[in-house]
Amino acid sequence: MKRRDFLKISITGSTGLFILSHPIKSWSAQPDAVIVKGGEPADLLNTALQNYGGIQRFISRGDVVVIKPNIGWDRAPEFAANTNPVLVSELIKVCLNAGAAKVKIFDRTCNTPQRCYQNSQIEAVAKKSGAEIEHVRDFKFKKIALPSGKILKEWLVYQDYLEADKIINVPIAKHHSLSQVTLGLKNLMGVMGGNRGEIHNSFRQKLIDIDAHILPTLTIIDAYRILMRNGPSGGNLNDVQMAKTLIVSSCLVTADFLGLELFNLDLNKVGYIQEAVERGLNKYDLSKLNVKRITIG
Amino acid sequence: MAKTRRITQLLFLLFFILLFLWARYPYQTAIPSDLFLRFSPLSPLFYFIDNLTIPSFFWPALLILFLTIFLGRFFCGWICPLGTSLDISNRILKSPSNKSSGKWAKLRWLKFGILFLSIILAIFSIHLWGIFDPLAIFTRMTTILFYPALTFLTEGLLALLTKITFAQPVTYAVYDFFKKHLMPESQAFYQGTAGIIGLIIIIFGLERLSRRFWCRNICPAGALFGFFSQFRFYERLVSESCPLCNRCQVECKMNAIPGGKVAETDKVECIECFNCGEKCPPKAKSITFRFRWKPYRSKIDFSRRQFISTSVSGIVTFGLFSVGLKGKQSTAKNIRPPGSLPEDEFLDRCIRCLECVRICSSNGRCLHPTGFDQNILKLWTPLAVMREGYCEYNCNLCGQVCPTDAILPLPLSVKQQTPMGLAYFDKNLCIPFVRNEDCLVCEEHCPTSDKAIKFDIKMATLSDGSSRLVKYPYVVRELCIGCGICEYKCPLPGMPGVFVIRENEKRLSSLPPSI
Repeated sequence: MKRRDFLKISITGSTGLFILSHPIKSWSAQPDAVIVKGGEPADLLNTALQNYGGIQRFISRGDVVVIKPNIGWDRAPEFAANTNPVLVSELIKVCLNAGAAKVKIFDRTCNTPQRCYQNSQIEAVAKKSGAEIEHVRDFKFKKIALPSGKILKEWLVYQDYLEADKIINVPIAKHHSLSQVTLGLKNLMGVMGGNRGEIHNSFRQKLIDIDAHILPTLTIIDAYRILMRNGPSGGNLNDVQMAKTLIVSSCLVTADFLGLELFNLDLNKVGYIQEAVERGLNKYDLSKLNVKRITIG
Repeated sequence: MAKTRRITQLLFLLFFILLFLWARYPYQTAIPSDLFLRFSPLSPLFYFIDNLTIPSFFWPALLILFLTIFLGRFFCGWICPLGTSLDISNRILKSPSNKSSGKWAKLRWLKFGILFLSIILAIFSIHLWGIFDPLAIFTRMTTILFYPALTFLTEGLLALLTKITFAQPVTYAVYDFFKKHLMPESQAFYQGTAGIIGLIIIIFGLERLSRRFWCRNICPAGALFGFFSQFRFYERLVSESCPLCNRCQVECKMNAIPGGKVAETDKVECIECFNCGEKCPPKAKSITFRFRWKPYRSKIDFSRRQFISTSVSGIVTFGLFSVGLKGKQSTAKNIRPPGSLPEDEFLDRCIRCLECVRICSSNGRCLHPTGFDQNILKLWTPLAVMREGYCEYNCNLCGQVCPTDAILPLPLSVKQQTPMGLAYFDKNLCIPFVRNEDCLVCEEHCPTSDKAIKFDIKMATLSDGSSRLVKYPYVVRELCIGCGICEYKCPLPGMPGVFVIRENEKRLSSLPPSI
């Protein structure tokens, strides 16, 4: 080979490789999670998504998207028992702008559905922003097999959740006596049918048995207001802390792990997140996380 | 006139049904749903016997009673939803004409007997008349049977239709419409429905003996209206042209035209349906109506002998009700709605309409009618059955729809501090105590803002010799309001590990001053 040819080939080759590898490189350059602090719910969300490669990474044109907030309790937003309605509203708009064909919202509530949907204000904002919001219908739960389950081998999960193209899990960070804290993994209980009370004994195994089979596309933890005591139902404004934080990750376990910071909790204190890690549900190595932290305002 | 009457009847029925449907969360209606229950003339009468006053919220009944003096029993013919239901059901049940059913006229006195008996018992502070009140009956049967049955059929059918894949969009659209406008609550299942179903079968079944058998012979509200309409000024006149065909007499809904004396009207019985005018042959057209300032009087069908025998049986009945075991243990779980009057006053005041049960079905769904298993004096009064539902912390609607204020309309902040009972753990059932395993579903749902259910963390030794920390729940008496969500949500399949009893309940005699 002549020297000139060698140079030609190596230059074109490397240029070609560089160009070809660029999108892959830009993909892998995204952080594992983004934590934004110090803003209002809508700003927190938009800043987080911008720094996480945009919602287009997750939502394609024509997708049916399920957004799963926490609408579990008959409480107004200030009590930090339900996901922030402004955040939900902004997220619906973001998804629809990204070309989602439909955004569906629902939660299996703990108090009466009419009361929870209304008092949380999520029903009103969802309708206004163009999402489909419905009360959970008993006949729409489908039994799914849980092949990797340690205790549970099957459970009922909501049909719309199973049929969605993309799922965005939007929990609110709250204290919870049984499990220390409730974040994304526990928020998925809102799509489970049957006697959910039964999940509460041998909680860590049973919850993860089901969660392992229904992991969402994206998890956004609402920590604008967080409930520090008397969770998960709350009811006292003194128990609410303005953390003005939002955590986003495509890995549910990573998001939950980062959520522990808000409560100064160690992983070894929170059995069910530990269980998820032990079963390898985390996409990223939790000891070497690449987290982008942003403070706005 | 008969046509106008029919339309009016349907409009009132529709109005009552709408009020019934509006009695649900969020209850932001311009017309209070208990309005039509206050149409009953019996409520102010017995309120008066009990308290010697008549509160102004009984204005609809008082207005109707006043008009009755002039117009007679128009309420029965034009407004009463039970009467309208009977008229509608008659199209299927087909009662015999007065030719053969006229013989039942001998039972007419019975309604006066029931009214009089109720008055005697009320003087002895036993109020059972609500069982026979037509408006309470209508609400009761709609709440307990018709509405749940309709929900069951509609939802069941639509759920079945969703299995047909290509029809799904249409099915869901229909389903959403139903859920939004007609039946937003989930299916209600009530305890002790058998008695109420029996009552419905009796009331409608009697229609096979004669038209409006209930109204002719049993209804105490009808008796009271009849008493007021003895001299009614609005009279039916029969002109000379009458061919004496007897058609009006035979077809009269109330058998209020005496046989052989077609020109007369029994004012106590006539409900002014104007069917006689319609039945009169077009050639004759001999029946007209007009006011007369010197009306004749129709006598009440209640002889002195019947009067005396009713009085005696009233006192005997009172005696029978008063002897017998009261059953301390069986009343342990008799939890009344929040804001209920003290038990004796509550029983005096409650008309067993179950409107509170109705509105509760769109909330925590704890309220149910009491059945025959309890003291008969408590029949069909509301009870909170916490294993089947719970009292929603942010709800105070049962007090707002109570027509007689047997349940006081407590402001929400007061209701949230008015205990209905107290929760107890059954350590022989509760999962942490029995299996040394965490559970805490009760604590999770406890709605008071300093939770009334707290827990101890203790080290437990397990069967394999290992040990672990377990959270054992307990109740703080001072914080518990007995809402029962712990009992309702307890994940055990049958008997709950935590339950609410009547202990520590707070009964109020009147609304607490300015909050």
